[in-house]
Amino acid sequence: MKLLSSIRRQRSLLNCAPISARQSADRSMRSAISRADGSVEFTNQQNFDRAVARLVRLIPIPAESAEWFSEKDLVPTSRLPWKKMVHNPAVLAISIAVAVIAGVFVFNFLSRLNDFPGSATARKLLGVAASTRPVMLDPVNADAGTLSDLFFMKHGLEHYDVPAEFADFGTIGCRVFEDDESRRIAQIWVSEKRMQFFLFPAERDSKTGVVLRFPGWRYVHQEGWTGVVTEHSGVCFMAALRGHDKDFEPYISKSADK
Amino acid sequence: MLGESRKAQEVFHATLREAAQRAARGELPSEPFWLFHDARWRCLEATKSDLQPEALEIDEHDVAPTAASQIERLDPMQLAIWISAAPDPQRTALALFYLDEFDYREVLDLAELKLNELSRFLSNGRRQLQAWLDAKFPQQMDV
Repeated sequence: MKLLSSIRRQRSLLNCAPISARQSADRSMRSAISRADGSVEFTNQQNFDRAVARLVRLIPIPAESAEWFSEKDLVPTSRLPWKKMVHNPAVLAISIAVAVIAGVFVFNFLSRLNDFPGSATARKLLGVAASTRPVMLDPVNADAGTLSDLFFMKHGLEHYDVPAEFADFGTIGCRVFEDDESRRIAQIWVSEKRMQFFLFPAERDSKTGVVLRFPGWRYVHQEGWTGVVTEHSGVCFMAALRGHDKDFEPYISKSADK
Repeated sequence: MLGESRKAQEVFHATLREAAQRAARGELPSEPFWLFHDARWRCLEATKSDLQPEALEIDEHDVAPTAASQIERLDPMQLAIWISAAPDPQRTALALFYLDEFDYREVLDLAELKLNELSRFLSNGRRQLQAWLDAKFPQQMDV
């Protein structure tokens, strides 16, 4: 029964086979045509249909009707109202994509706007600050400002000075370590607001080796941590804490350059 | 579809006028071929009061290999009148199919037919036209 029904359907499809090859045909039609291709009956049918179609095209169209198909648009193209356009899924998707790209671009632009020589290192060190535990540092009980001598005497680090704004804070511990670029970093933990200080070599011009200086204090941010950085004598100092810019306002001078 | 130029023109103009008005109001239907649906119903409406072709036993011949040359000898208007004389929905099926613009699925949709019905109408139409052609342009029979 199924075979009979399939043969009937194929026969029906063949009777409706497209006249010209340019007409699209679905899979079942293509299959029916490929089975019948070359048969005398089907060839006769196709020749018959093509001849009729050629003749149909010769049926004259009255002049009054042909006027409707002049160069003018039959139906004026209506512009889509903007509200309809906005609700079009394609327009909506493109708009969202453009907005996201623009957002990323603006975010990157604003991030770079506050960049300064050494800001990349400063951000990395904010990550170090977040993961540091007090036991990792050597216990020291002294003012932060007095540690310059320790760094010079014990580690040979010159100009690793804590600026006056932060020099009076009592130290909990300190250490000197090398970062992934073998630069020697001094880290100090103070009791005031559980702040951490970092002293690291300022960025230099890769060709000339000249220190890339920047004036005043600069802010950096990384995952909830904020750092305030300044450069002096080829060494950068960064005070870091978990918080916001305003947490540093009482400490740094009013001349801070944001 | 109508077999009469004046009526065809009236239907044509009425269909396009209505379409233009709907477009101006921004009420164009989203369904494909709505204009052809509309035109078809107007044609059927226009012929409702006319004499309808009777369901006669019409001669049918197998499609001949020489059919193409017979068709070439036909006047296009004769073919148009022959198609318009067919009872609907066969008339619609033949008219749409031989416009050579629609595939069978579109004709099924436009003429509201099933595949086996369209197949029968087209097949019978061919055989009937062949019989008419044979009567009009008799072929020399091989002996």
